[in-house]
Amino acid sequence: MTAALQLDGLKKSFGKTEIIRGVDLSIGKGERHAIIGPNGAGKSTLFNLITGRFPQSEGHIRLHGEDLAGKAPFEINRMGLSRSFQITNIFPKMTVFENVRCSLLWSMGYRYNFWSMVGRSRALTEGTDEILDQINLTARRDLPAGVLSYAEQRALEIGITIAGGADVIMLDEPTAGMSHSETDYIVELIRTVTEGKTLVMVEHDMGVVFGLADQISVLVYGEIIATGTPEAVRANPKVQEAYLGEALEAH
Amino acid sequence: MTDQLTTDPTKPAQRMRAGSLTVPLIPWVLAAALLMVLPFIFTANSAITIMNQMAITIIFALAYNMLLGQGGMLSFGHAVYAGVGGFACVHIMNMDDFFAQIPLPLLPVFGGLMGMGLATIVGSFSTRKAGTVFAMISLGVGELIAACSVIIVAFFGGEEGISGDRTYGMPFFGVEFLQQIEVYYLIAAWLLISAALMYLYSRTPLGRMANAVRDNPERAEFLGYSARWVRFFSFVASGFFAGVAGALFAINYEILTEENLNTTQSGLILLATFLGGVGFFFGPILGAIVFTLVQTVLSLQTELWGFYLGIVFVVTVMFFPGGLAGLIMMHVPAMRLGKLGLLGMPYLKTLGSGAVGCLGAAALIEMTFHARHASAGDHEMTIYWTTFDTHSVVPWIIAIAVTLIGFGIARRTAPALAEAWGQANTPDGAMR
Repeated sequence: MTAALQLDGLKKSFGKTEIIRGVDLSIGKGERHAIIGPNGAGKSTLFNLITGRFPQSEGHIRLHGEDLAGKAPFEINRMGLSRSFQITNIFPKMTVFENVRCSLLWSMGYRYNFWSMVGRSRALTEGTDEILDQINLTARRDLPAGVLSYAEQRALEIGITIAGGADVIMLDEPTAGMSHSETDYIVELIRTVTEGKTLVMVEHDMGVVFGLADQISVLVYGEIIATGTPEAVRANPKVQEAYLGEALEAH
Repeated sequence: MTDQLTTDPTKPAQRMRAGSLTVPLIPWVLAAALLMVLPFIFTANSAITIMNQMAITIIFALAYNMLLGQGGMLSFGHAVYAGVGGFACVHIMNMDDFFAQIPLPLLPVFGGLMGMGLATIVGSFSTRKAGTVFAMISLGVGELIAACSVIIVAFFGGEEGISGDRTYGMPFFGVEFLQQIEVYYLIAAWLLISAALMYLYSRTPLGRMANAVRDNPERAEFLGYSARWVRFFSFVASGFFAGVAGALFAINYEILTEENLNTTQSGLILLATFLGGVGFFFGPILGAIVFTLVQTVLSLQTELWGFYLGIVFVVTVMFFPGGLAGLIMMHVPAMRLGKLGLLGMPYLKTLGSGAVGCLGAAALIEMTFHARHASAGDHEMTIYWTTFDTHSVVPWIIAIAVTLIGFGIARRTAPALAEAWGQANTPDGAMR
């Protein structure tokens, strides 16, 4: 079976500085894969390479076996990969409803359609309301997204990310900057909305990682030093030495 | 409290579907009725000339706002698409055999297609990026085509432009468009059609994504949309309606010159659109109306009309970035609370005295202008129906006093207005 996401010898340099120094990784279909590592390890860069935000310097990225080299973010998205951002990235001036509706348009086949009214499509309105229901923002439906609380905006971003029906979901620090109760809420939300999909996430909160992921990769200085189940990674001496020791004891 | 109303996901959906069919129709019917009766209210020939000019400017401003307001693209050269559409139409008017076979009311379609064709070519490279890059390219292309007008004389007619005769077209149900009023109804019909189409465009998937790309192009790309293609389609659509406006100009004036497509014209439409407000669909309509009035009526009163327009524009950019439409929509919350009445007196006090101050200041400017530029020995000037000698002291003292007192009262009463504003926007009893 082809992996949902396959990275081979992936490298990225900015000028002379090599940020990603040869990453090989295979993420199977339906897997919940967390990428952890100390600050500056290159986690976000890795995300940006996979989603087409930056071009890679060397190596290959394959989504369902298909090479993503040279593809723009919108092309990668149409192939079934969707992402969220570390810093909330939504349409702040549009209503919550419109935010979600915009993310449904392409996948529902509207493309660059200029001859039908968005307000008239029952399927579109119902599809949008269904997503709003899933992310519990129905009560905020008609408010501009920019006035929502931080946790609500993060939930909205997850809603936007999953709305298009992508089967590979990539979340960049979905719980960053959240309180304990908010984190618990978002983790539960991620668990339900990514049911049956491939989930790749970067996360700092070890509670979230060990609670949600069934595979973990540890990225240190642009290289993956270990990949495996949470137990195996936890027990790995290299990981403990490089990074996890303190975080694990605290947990 | 309001949560109960909206937690049922089916309810708002129904409300919205019903809304999209019935409620928005009312303003359109009213607008159509207004366009029908206007020539019966303002019967003078000069009034009809102004209304024609206004309607053309409205179409152009709405087309421009498809870029600026809805697509987030600041163009410094949009007059080019209107101008080229207009030039093409004058050429069609001069193709005797061909023109004799098409009714005049269809001519704007050709103008639109011409504007659209040019926008397709220019848009193919200018819409790659928004922001500064787009603005610079639009300026460059605008200058380039304006320069072409003296080089490609066969199409642009050189410095004197080209002229035609609209009446050679195929009669349209017996109407030959010899009279100004017939042209008025032609333009009014196109205004209604174009405005409706542009409004509907903003409700389509592409129109919604134009907003999304304006607000956050990167996010739109990660939702499957190429920001560049979205911008390109908006640009082409805007080019079409600009071309329609140009064609109507050709029909109305029967002459086009370089002035119709140079950067001055592009700047004026930006000014009119921004003045009206780019955030709402009706903003450019207001802007075009006010702008045309200033351009036609105020310009008869004073040579300095451009100076006042400039001041108004700067003040708008600095203090009311939402434009006229934004100012009006600011009052919606107070209206919903039924507290608009609270603002009546404070507005009268502050804005009334402010207006007096402005009139005083304008008098000072006019008097200075007259004193400096009137021919030697001509000391007499007339302003506000009063004739006086600009070289005596009394009028100056009066003007300065009126200015200072007007602005002084406005300043004194401003805090009361601010307080009334706060009250009008606070729901009774509720502190939320």
